[in-house]
Amino acid sequence: MEFLKIDNVVKKYGDATVIGGVGLTAREGEFVVFVGPSGCGKSTLLRLIAGLDEVSDGRIHIDGIDVTEVPPAARGVAMVFQSYALYPHMNVRQNMSFGLKMLDTPADEIQRRVAEAARILKLEHLLERRPKELSGGQRQRVAIGRAIVRKPRLFLFDEPLSNLDAELRGEMRVEIARLHQDLGVTMVYVTHDQVEAMTLADRIVVLRGGHVEQIGTPAELYDHPVNTFVAGFIGSPKMNFLSVTVASVEGTVVRVASPSLAGGSATLDLAHPVVARSGDALSLGLRPEHLVPDGPGAVRLATVLDYVENLGGQSLLYTRAAGGEAAICLLQGRHQAARHEAIALCADAAHAYLFDGDGHAL
Amino acid sequence: MNPRQLRRAVHLLFLAAFLLFTLFPFFWMVASSLKDQTDLLASPPVWAFTPTFVHYAEIWQDDEVSGAIINSLIVASSTTLLAVLLGTPAAYSLARFQFRGKKDLWFWFISNRMISPIVLALPVYLLAQRAGLLDTHLVLILIYLSFCLPIVVWICTDQFRSIPGDIEQAARLDNANHWDIFWRIYLPLGLPGIAVSAIFSFIFSWNELLYALVLTRSDARTAPVIATSYMSGYELPWGKIMATGTVIVLPVTFFALLVSRHMVRGLTMGASK
Ligand SMILES: Nc1ncnc2c1ncn2[C@@H]1O[C@H](COP(=O)(O)OP(=O)(O)OP(=O)(O)O)[C@@H](O)[C@H]1O
Ligand SMILES: [Mg+2]
Repeated sequence: MEFLKIDNVVKKYGDATVIGGVGLTAREGEFVVFVGPSGCGKSTLLRLIAGLDEVSDGRIHIDGIDVTEVPPAARGVAMVFQSYALYPHMNVRQNMSFGLKMLDTPADEIQRRVAEAARILKLEHLLERRPKELSGGQRQRVAIGRAIVRKPRLFLFDEPLSNLDAELRGEMRVEIARLHQDLGVTMVYVTHDQVEAMTLADRIVVLRGGHVEQIGTPAELYDHPVNTFVAGFIGSPKMNFLSVTVASVEGTVVRVASPSLAGGSATLDLAHPVVARSGDALSLGLRPEHLVPDGPGAVRLATVLDYVENLGGQSLLYTRAAGGEAAICLLQGRHQAARHEAIALCADAAHAYLFDGDGHAL
Repeated sequence: MNPRQLRRAVHLLFLAAFLLFTLFPFFWMVASSLKDQTDLLASPPVWAFTPTFVHYAEIWQDDEVSGAIINSLIVASSTTLLAVLLGTPAAYSLARFQFRGKKDLWFWFISNRMISPIVLALPVYLLAQRAGLLDTHLVLILIYLSFCLPIVVWICTDQFRSIPGDIEQAARLDNANHWDIFWRIYLPLGLPGIAVSAIFSFIFSWNELLYALVLTRSDARTAPVIATSYMSGYELPWGKIMATGTVIVLPVTFFALLVSRHMVRGLTMGASK
């Protein structure tokens, strides 16, 4: 049963269309993550779900009820802002009780719920402090606590961890995942962070320029990106792209040619009929983590090493292919190599992606 | 002396000159209020004298002076209260809502302060006369309000704009209506700006002389008017004028010192984001 349903929603600011007809659904208890480049409308979409902005067109349903015209507070959603948006003049307890007080909740009930949220979020000893007397992570927890006490049916998070340092971000990420398990509530989460998106999401929505590019589980997006944009956006470091031309097509098998390929060409079996003809210009996508120097793979790139970045347990090889394209290779362990050394980067044919001239996956 | 010390010395010198320039009149007023008539008129002026409180005793016994101070208190507090009461909701809506004529309204508030008060003195007098409001507290409060309201709206709009929009959105999700948001979020968070504009309003209404002189005769005379009223006749009672001046300045000075911390915060607000 779909819990949240966004039906062809459009948002315009004056003449500018910021959301151009987005449709998506989320099941009850699902964790949905919005990703996309800056300015693509992630926050706007979240604010439309919350009711903080009015849609220009389209409908929004929550739990089977059309809430398009319903004011924010009555939608049963809670939102955690990137800036935390705590009330600076109230202490932690007051911050968390404010929403309940506005609903005329009895004092003992408020007391009980705040105590429970404080326990879950380990804020018990901080209840009398003002926001400015808290660390970033603590503020973030208060912001989440303020959302929890209202027992919302839908949680919205707008880049909640982006103001935290890397270590704290990791901790909070785990806490949010645990919270989602414990509460079992539907959550919509906006992030820039690959790791957050891949680890937290049941499903990821990739947005670009106010449109949905692809919706799917993290694995689906990683394994079967529908276009070069999604392919480049999911996965880090970014997928390598090489220009190739179709040499021959036979059923599901395609042979592509490029000066970057060792031997001038490679043969790929796409396992479905290929809709390309000889001479078509395509993009060949190879993920850095699938490339192995001098490996057994059937797709072999002839490259020259530019430089090596040592990340400790892993290394990044920055190379230039014979055709001029930059290609990055992610290796486990350290790699000793001299600059300008010739390296053959090899990948399994199953890990090669092909995209047509418009960037759509073949 | 190295360049840094030199710069500091020049800096201090300027500061000293400025302080002398602004504070000397106050010093002269207070000192004169404590001199007897002989010392007052001595030329060259005497710097060392035995202080006397005769002038203060004199105004203490003068019902007109205490009456005028009470009038000033009534007028200044009412103006300040009304200006804040009416100005802060206006500032809230100007800061947060889009509505037709918003720009014009904003400009109207600011342009009010561009007109020289003296230009309007005669028309205001005639209006007040027609309305039968001459020599009342009400007419002063109304006219001062027309000066103070724009100040309150102006400062508070700026202050309210500096409150992050996210906080208001969070409150909306927390079931707060506009009134709750104004009352529980904007007023407490806007306190520095409200305090500054209240002080401006109070000091303005307390000090204002021109309209008070034009619009009052006896019942509603304010303190500054009384001080100048001694200036008729053959002999100028300088001691009494200065003592009255000191008594008038004292409360506002005290008031300003009390809230100076807020004042600095309010005046520099928006300077850094
Ligand atoms: N109130 C507004 N008026 C006009 N344009 C707006 C308004 N709010 C947002 N926009 C525009 O809408 C687009 C989407 O903004 P939004 O904040 O949703 O982006 P985002 O995906 O959240 O970006 P980021 O990752 O940087 O937070 C941007 O181009 C922005 O300039
Ligand atoms: Mg955003």
